[in-house]
Amino acid sequence: MTNSMSNVKMVSEIIENSYKVLKKEVISQYQVSFEVNKDDVHSILTLLKTSGWIQLSYLSAIDWPEENEFELVYIVFNWDKAVHIQIRTRLNRENPVMNSILPIFPGCKYYERETHEFFGIKFPGNPGHEKQLILEEWDDIPPLRKDFDPRAYSDRKFVKREYSNDFVNLNGEKSKQIAREERKEKIIKVRKGGRK
Amino acid sequence: MLSTKFTKLSKEEVDRKWWEIGDFFRRNSLWMLMYCTGCCAIELPPAMTSAYDMERLGMGPMATPRQADVLLVTGYLSLKTLRRLIYTYEQMSEPKYVVGIGSCTINGGIYHDSHAVINQLNRYVPVDVYVAGCMPNTEAVMNGFVDLMGLIKTKKANGWKDYHARNEWYMANQKAALGEVKVHDEFHE
Repeated sequence: MTNSMSNVKMVSEIIENSYKVLKKEVISQYQVSFEVNKDDVHSILTLLKTSGWIQLSYLSAIDWPEENEFELVYIVFNWDKAVHIQIRTRLNRENPVMNSILPIFPGCKYYERETHEFFGIKFPGNPGHEKQLILEEWDDIPPLRKDFDPRAYSDRKFVKREYSNDFVNLNGEKSKQIAREERKEKIIKVRKGGRK
Repeated sequence: MLSTKFTKLSKEEVDRKWWEIGDFFRRNSLWMLMYCTGCCAIELPPAMTSAYDMERLGMGPMATPRQADVLLVTGYLSLKTLRRLIYTYEQMSEPKYVVGIGSCTINGGIYHDSHAVINQLNRYVPVDVYVAGCMPNTEAVMNGFVDLMGLIKTKKANGWKDYHARNEWYMANQKAALGEVKVHDEFHE
């Protein structure tokens, strides 16, 4: 086994020789990220799978509302070489559709269902990806989109407990916090010999 | 000579006496069903094992809801878990008691503004004892169990009766939060 930095170099060579990489980022000696075109994702993942990155570690999305785009992140994992590879691609936010990678990595089945549920990205080619998985009977826009307001949803749907009074000082005692601060000041004053 | 005459008790009186006897045995041998949804569940191992030894209060863990007396809800409940919790609660045989542990069951705790987590547990199932804290320490949890025993003794742990009496209200709250209580997933169909 070679050391990890040359692993990153090797991965970069494999991908950059055959595909157009829009943005490359070496996150650490064990992680490298490539942003590629949407159409290249399937062939890159196939290439990586045949070169040893046999496990899909994670698949999720990031919402970029200013750029009106979703960013899909595929993380693949190699059991022999200590490099995680992230393949990123951008989708249009209005009609987010990405072909499923189910034939390449069968394990993506539930990740794609989850991404569909939380971001509303469609994955044709994955049968049943529109079925509910984690959120049951969801009745709003997908909740991990940036324009979803969880607090407004929570206020609307779940009744808050009401408290009549925040605090009542029944016997007129001095606050312990104030007494504590006064004591502290006094200690400091004594320690400094009466000087402020 | 002692009189052998006795006044015949009414049916209500007899029932009340039998319930008192039942409550005595019940409160001294509580079987818990631990619905460990959240992080407060980490307080239960010290409460159960030799550090605080729950067994000296006569409490023990039970594996199925059908044979349990107490339902412990330890921590936050997402909508998905709440649906299963209601299933579990309705499977328990009566009388049944619910203990809510942690501030998440009281007012949502640190998840008060989350889209997935309910805020007040007692709107969906009746709660007899709350243990406040995020998370409560083990003494507080044990104290909560002692409180529950006291409530059973003084006949104030009436959550399960309330669930019958105000069933429409509970059902309406469950429906408002969950849409439909019935579970629809690939394991149930």
